Amino acid sequence: MPLEVRTTATLAEAASLLQSERAARFMAGGTLMMRAVNEGDVSFSTIVRTSDPAFVRVRAAGGRIELGAGVTMAQVLASRELAFLHPAARAVGGPAVRTMATVGGNLFAAHPYGDFATALLALDARVQLASGFGAREVPLEDLLRGRERGPRQLVAAVSFERPADPAAFRFRKMTRTHPKGPAVLTIAAWLPTSGGRVSGARVAFGAMAPFPIRARAVERALEGRLLSAEGVAPAVAAAAREGDPPTDPIASAWYRQRVVGVVLRRLLLGEL
Amino acid sequence: MRIRKELFADERDDALRLVGQPVRRQDIEGHVTGRSTFFDDHPVAGLLHLRCVRSSEHHARIRAIDTSAAERTPGVRRILRYADLPKKAHNILTIFNFGIDDEPALADGKVRYRGEPIVAVLAESRRAADEAVAKVRVDYEPLPAVFDVEEALKPGAPLVNEYIGRNWFRYWGDYDCQQIRFGDVEAALRSADLVVEGRYQMSPIEHAPLETNGCIVVPAEDGRFTVYTCTQGLFFSLDNTAAQLKIESNRLHFIGGTVGGGFGGKVDTVVEPLAVLAAMLTGRPVRYVFSRAEEMQVSSPRGAERIYIRDGVMRDGRIVAREITHYHDAGAYSRLSTYGTIKSAAHHPGPYWIPNVRVDSWCVFTNRTPSSAMRGFGVTGGDFALESHMDAVARAIGMDPMELRIKNAYRDGDMKAHRKLTQGAALIECVQVAAELAGWPLSEDARRDSSRVGGGGERARIPPTPIARTRAPAATGTGARAELPRSGTGFAAGEPRRAMTPPPSRTGGTGSPSTRPEPEPRRGEPIRNEPERREPPPEPPRPASGGHGAIRFSSVFGSRRR
Repeated sequence: MPLEVRTTATLAEAASLLQSERAARFMAGGTLMMRAVNEGDVSFSTIVRTSDPAFVRVRAAGGRIELGAGVTMAQVLASRELAFLHPAARAVGGPAVRTMATVGGNLFAAHPYGDFATALLALDARVQLASGFGAREVPLEDLLRGRERGPRQLVAAVSFERPADPAAFRFRKMTRTHPKGPAVLTIAAWLPTSGGRVSGARVAFGAMAPFPIRARAVERALEGRLLSAEGVAPAVAAAAREGDPPTDPIASAWYRQRVVGVVLRRLLLGEL
Repeated sequence: MRIRKELFADERDDALRLVGQPVRRQDIEGHVTGRSTFFDDHPVAGLLHLRCVRSSEHHARIRAIDTSAAERTPGVRRILRYADLPKKAHNILTIFNFGIDDEPALADGKVRYRGEPIVAVLAESRRAADEAVAKVRVDYEPLPAVFDVEEALKPGAPLVNEYIGRNWFRYWGDYDCQQIRFGDVEAALRSADLVVEGRYQMSPIEHAPLETNGCIVVPAEDGRFTVYTCTQGLFFSLDNTAAQLKIESNRLHFIGGTVGGGFGGKVDTVVEPLAVLAAMLTGRPVRYVFSRAEEMQVSSPRGAERIYIRDGVMRDGRIVAREITHYHDAGAYSRLSTYGTIKSAAHHPGPYWIPNVRVDSWCVFTNRTPSSAMRGFGVTGGDFALESHMDAVARAIGMDPMELRIKNAYRDGDMKAHRKLTQGAALIECVQVAAELAGWPLSEDARRDSSRVGGGGERARIPPTPIARTRAPAATGTGARAELPRSGTGFAAGEPRRAMTPPPSRTGGTGSPSTRPEPEPRRGEPIRNEPERREPPPEPPRPASGGHGAIRFSSVFGSRRR
């Protein structure tokens, strides 16, 4: 059966199509999907795309930022309002990939990909799902956790609060090949402080589990602490116990567990 | 770039117009403007696309192959099987009368590595071929697999390749490994001040060319086949394709010239024979190109090598004995690993004069992806081990590593373990220049040393050499025995096998292996030779019959003369 490409005018139509056809798959930037097509993946026979303008819209002016799922990494990098997200967008592939790779696609990029999703997780992003019957919203964490087994969902957009202090948002990716290798691991952290002490931290790990995860033990260990060598020690110690890191050609689980604390300490202390 | 005339007075320098100069590649303009023509840039109407069903198992007998659903897939024109192969097993060196035909182009009733092709689907589109491949059902009976070279040599190890009949390649008729024997290593190790041991492990390395292996075959009206291919060895691949299809080579017209990345990864001639066979059987043009995943999984990588080194060292830095056991992981089939193993033996013990040397280089079969050529295979792995070990020796005796190398370097007139006199040695000068450029302090003696002095004399002597033949552990015990797959689907046991051709016989006295049948020599029984009765250097292996049989290689370190 030849591969068919169908383009819909609205996200709702695309969602209906995906619900009615099991052999259909949605394509955003195609950086992973076209690779599968070229490698002879015959698990789908219809590619669904949309020309809905909402799909590629960036709303970054106000306090709540909304990114259409089809917004590319290059678009993020072109937006001055999104400067705090530039390190995360730049961590995704090389320039050619960033021109095509999308915010929505990154949420479904299999391990060890998903650096941007890790950043969004630390921002406590919410995901708008499109469906034939209207939109609904779920926390990003729920979507990531259920993405392998859950029902097929079409992501329309993601939204999150603009960090009051952009410096309190930090992102680090450890890779073997610079500047664009896949992640040994990725850490994104939102570290608001009050009187120098951390209050309400959110820390996300990428490549430390089959999907990006929140590092809750690390978050708890940071609460009320100073961002000093002594202050972050309990959080660093907790890091190795988070997640269930896979062993893959990039790194072993053993290595990831041993190095995650080092990367976290550097991120928390602002070291190189 | 300059020639140091004080060292290399007899070296011509006026010819060196390229070394050290920026040179524009002749094909670079086409590459950067996207106008170079690769094999896949030939538009051909009416192409059939060939895709292989590949083994999901490392080692298994095939009980049954069900292609019925695949055959019904729209667009599928034919399915190629083992029964369609004109020659049931092949090795690319047997056209030179070397080695054993040990690899079927499609599975012979057994798979010996994960990714081995079982049947090939021909369809009107790549998509249709992929869909049909997904519908082929293979019923496997998994067999115990072996992935480690030393495990493979043990008695009772699963037999990987029945064509070979044992898990190691037997050289020159009756040698379980490629051997070098020079001097009395055992005695020298006993009398050395200390013994430094090391184990060095290489991993397989994939060439990862931008352009994956592939070809397009177009049948012509005159019964010939035009083959657009990315092979690195155009006529080597043509001859091998003809041999494998049992046709005259003048029925093949190979067009190549632009290789999208090779480095040794495009000489195995894996795609052309199947694609030409498909074109012969269908009368249609055929395209067979590895996907990226296939290129990574099934195209031959550089083999994993495991190297053990044991050095006898004196406190003053002299290495008096070197014992090397080098295991070359060929994977499931020979490809070019039989030759890579010889290269490793030819390269040991490195560019050093060591009076007692013993080398065993093994070509071992495992259930891993067949390995083959990659630039300097057999040699670079050996160098990694040898030079790492030189550093370990330097640390062990507290000597500067550069000084250690100068102290042990070959000098003009030295006898090598391969019984060849050293000429044009220049390792000492190379180390001196490297030390100078790196700002590495050398002693006055080391700075003044020269490859032209200190060699020869006693060092030109071939020492008394006890001959001890190394046997595979499995060969001395119960050993591996050939299990034939069930008849019908099994490989053809009657397929003519080519025995290894012995090297030209030499008169005894050099201590080199003789080809005459002989009782196992007793260890410690030296064979004495006088220096003036020195034998000419051993020749490269040659087939007994005529033909262009010589396999040549060169590995030159610190050479100052051509």
